[in-house]
Amino acid sequence: MSWFVGGLFERRKDELDEEIRAHIAMDVQARMERGQSRREAEAAAQREFGNIALVRDVTHGFWRWNRLEDLTRDLAYTVRVLRRASGFSIAVILTLAVGIGSACAMFTVVDRVLLRALPYQNADRLVEIRVSGKRGALQHSSPYLDIEQWQKRGHAVSQIAFYSYNRVRVSFLDGGNGATHVNAPTISANVFETLGVHPALGRGFQQEQSSGAVDPQDAHSLILSDAVWRMNYGGEDSIVGKTVKLNGDSFVVIGVMPRAFTFPFSADLPVVWTPLVLGTADATRVHNVTPDYQTIARLQPGVNLSQAEAELKVIQSDVAKAYTDLYYRDELTSISLQPYDASLIDGEIRKALLALFGASALLWLIACVNVTSLMLARATARQREMAVRGAMGASRWQIVQQLLVEGLLLSGCGSMLGLGMAVVMLKFFEHGLVSQFSIHEPLTPNLAVLAGLFGLTILSALLISVWPAIGAARAQIEPALRQGAPQQGSGRAQHRTRALLVITEIALSLTLLVGCGLLLRTIYALKHVPLGFRTEHVMVAKMIIPSYKFAGRNMTTELYQPLVDRANHLPGIESASLMSQAPMDHTARMEFSLGRASNSVDDVRRSMIRAEFRAVGPEMQRVFGFPMVRGRFFNEQDTATSQAVVVVNRAFVKAYYGDERDPGKILGEHLLSLESTRQAVVVGVFEDEHQVSAAAPPRPEVEVCIPQITPNTGFYTGAEGVAMDLAVRTGQSPSAILPELREAMRKASPDLADSKFTTMDQIVEDSFGSQRLAAELLEIFGGSALFLCVAGIYGLLAYLVAQRTREMGLRIALGAQRSNVMRLVLKQAAWMLLAGLGTGLVLAYFGSLGLRTFLYGVKPEDPWTLVVVTLLLLVSGLAAAYWPARRAAMVDPMEALRAE
Amino acid sequence: VSTSMLGRNKYKNRIELLQGTLDMLILRTLQWGPSHGYGIVQALRVQSGEALQVETGSLYPALHRLERQGWVQSEWKQTESNQRARFYSITAAGRKQLQDDLGRWKQMVDVIGAILHREPEGGKA
Repeated sequence: MSWFVGGLFERRKDELDEEIRAHIAMDVQARMERGQSRREAEAAAQREFGNIALVRDVTHGFWRWNRLEDLTRDLAYTVRVLRRASGFSIAVILTLAVGIGSACAMFTVVDRVLLRALPYQNADRLVEIRVSGKRGALQHSSPYLDIEQWQKRGHAVSQIAFYSYNRVRVSFLDGGNGATHVNAPTISANVFETLGVHPALGRGFQQEQSSGAVDPQDAHSLILSDAVWRMNYGGEDSIVGKTVKLNGDSFVVIGVMPRAFTFPFSADLPVVWTPLVLGTADATRVHNVTPDYQTIARLQPGVNLSQAEAELKVIQSDVAKAYTDLYYRDELTSISLQPYDASLIDGEIRKALLALFGASALLWLIACVNVTSLMLARATARQREMAVRGAMGASRWQIVQQLLVEGLLLSGCGSMLGLGMAVVMLKFFEHGLVSQFSIHEPLTPNLAVLAGLFGLTILSALLISVWPAIGAARAQIEPALRQGAPQQGSGRAQHRTRALLVITEIALSLTLLVGCGLLLRTIYALKHVPLGFRTEHVMVAKMIIPSYKFAGRNMTTELYQPLVDRANHLPGIESASLMSQAPMDHTARMEFSLGRASNSVDDVRRSMIRAEFRAVGPEMQRVFGFPMVRGRFFNEQDTATSQAVVVVNRAFVKAYYGDERDPGKILGEHLLSLESTRQAVVVGVFEDEHQVSAAAPPRPEVEVCIPQITPNTGFYTGAEGVAMDLAVRTGQSPSAILPELREAMRKASPDLADSKFTTMDQIVEDSFGSQRLAAELLEIFGGSALFLCVAGIYGLLAYLVAQRTREMGLRIALGAQRSNVMRLVLKQAAWMLLAGLGTGLVLAYFGSLGLRTFLYGVKPEDPWTLVVVTLLLLVSGLAAAYWPARRAAMVDPMEALRAE
Repeated sequence: VSTSMLGRNKYKNRIELLQGTLDMLILRTLQWGPSHGYGIVQALRVQSGEALQVETGSLYPALHRLERQGWVQSEWKQTESNQRARFYSITAAGRKQLQDDLGRWKQMVDVIGAILHREPEGGKA
């Protein structure tokens, strides 16, 4: 820093030198006028002036700039002092690093997930329009006719753009080197305008003025994202105007969007945008036939969210009248607006993340408390040093300044180390964090995080040095100098302060440990949920189906049957089968609902059933071992030409009849038709299984048989053309059969060779990934807290025992039993522990309410967890107290008395 | 802050002035008009009847301190003998400070004088 003020400083130095020279010159002149020779006069003037260097130095002391020089001197001195007390410094720096590191790591995640800036202009003015009804269900998409009404009659929102996007639907973009998987949302022409972002290259879609949709002229135009442009086309400007193939269809590239732009923001894959051209179907409002679109709109300047919502609600009440089906009309009578950025993150996830962030902040606080306690102990030991410095003329402020510099240096070192720890921790938990919080950028601390870290460093420095500094500023110099032993003279008040700090530490640690305990119980409970199927020895290949390559052909017979046959004949594979979605796998999910035949109570209830819908192969039961309750599962006799059949689960039967009557009653019911002439009958009921996750209860489910599906089947594209899981049961290790399995898939279709493989056990584990992540993080936080807490108790008691050596010696000399002395120390520990645990239990109760969203099978006030964790802390605390207590009891009375 | 008496008993009679006394003397001297460091030393010597020789090691720090406190200000000027020197002059705040100092000084002289001029009645003061 000295170079900063260097210039000014040097100038003032020169001025002072000149002032001194002038002084001497005048003196010489005066003396010569009185008749002395020049030489005599000069010598006398020099003598009278005195030590020039000293005058200069003392005068410097009054310059403002000098503070900086002081600071560097303080810093150098502090470094020397801390290096001498290296054990203390290392303990402090490590403790702070743990606290600051964990807070920094969690803040990085919070910054990425909650504080991220969307790559749109004034992103906080963007909203999503959702339709809601009397039964509370929210719909994220609406037919164009409804959107048109909002556009025409709404004044509070300036533009309403609309798009169609399915996150799990993967498209194939044919580039120079094979097909790439991309997300290809279909967007209206005014989407980019609404977002306030324009193509970096080429142009956007031409707009149909009345609707905002894409003009039919651009029906075969395509816009690339920067990522796709660079990856597939080498970032060449000449791409504009070229023809590319998306899912087998030809498109002309008309533009490239700027770097870092993406929309919808949740896209996992590189994105290309396809034109949304309105067609004849958009002129109707037929449920399940008319296409629905998601919306994004911009609020007019000066209009707030609730004003816009109020206006749209009025419009929607008119729009709903256009629906002739009274039952359906009730589901879209109202509107709710949601800011677009808030729609990207689930409320529960936000809460969970904040809870984890809170936990890391707690650990930081514990670390600071621990260090404060250490600093206080050290301040006591340094009382004489401070007193000597005071006596030598250091002002109180200078001493306080010195202590602050010390705190700053320690917390600075702690932060550096903590930053390193944060990076390691983020690397270690990257998979969990990225998948749980759907983060798309690399998880490394950025500028915002570094700024936060800087703030945290200053705050830590203040927290840990303010108490000792106050003590030092208040201390009387004289008594400290007068007394013989440096250890004495630390008042009772200080002991109480330190005891209070340890109690705080115990209370905060208990809070973290209870959270950790609850999550461990949750994991245990989740692992023991009866899933309804076997998971061991099952491998799943997640296939993304290049259905465009099979256009006009029958995928059932040309892709799937050969694939299953090949897989079933591979050595080491007990059975292999296909399933449109393996249990707990979050690929393309299909939902089944029944049409409403009449307005009878039964029919209304049935029409409200939302069941999982899966197309499975007949071998599936052998792979997963779903137990049957009634009837049979599919078998090899169920073919495209035989009677169409379905199986349902027990939950479906219950929802269908509204009660728990004999599930066999549903056998023979017609639920759906494969084609207009092929009514399917229920032939079996299987036991409920967890389809979504271990924590979510089983849902009603309907399964159809893959060999029975033909291109004429209504759900052919949905069931077979998007994604398919190949599940195999094998006694061998996954790596042993993987190469041959991959080869079999490559033979079926080359695109399937790079499918992702995973084990069913892994899928189940992933389904409670958020709990596992939270548990692992809290294990680290709680473990560190426990360690710091034990160190804190030990530190304080060891210090107290050292201070009272003489007293203990005296007691023993006077006939006290050693066990009594020991009890004296343990009593002190027990007192602190009980006070800390009592406070901690209250804190823990409120703390674990924040964790509620993570918990499964255990309540926040679970007595077992509370008891076990309390006992754990109690035992560790007493163990920490045992050594100092033993040392106290072992004091040799003679030595203790002689020592002083 | 220390000054020394001139003359034969120069070292014997060294007295320790109370903190702030030198400041007061400097401010008082500057009330007659701006002066440089050398001038102030000379003025104090003459006015004290050659009894006070202010040490430069005290004077210059004091001048710089007073300047920082805003009680004096300085500028570089030529002396009559064409020597470039830094001239200090008293500011309004300095005048006010001087008044306060003088009041306190007078009070202290009165109090200490009252004690010292009493007849001893046994025991040390």
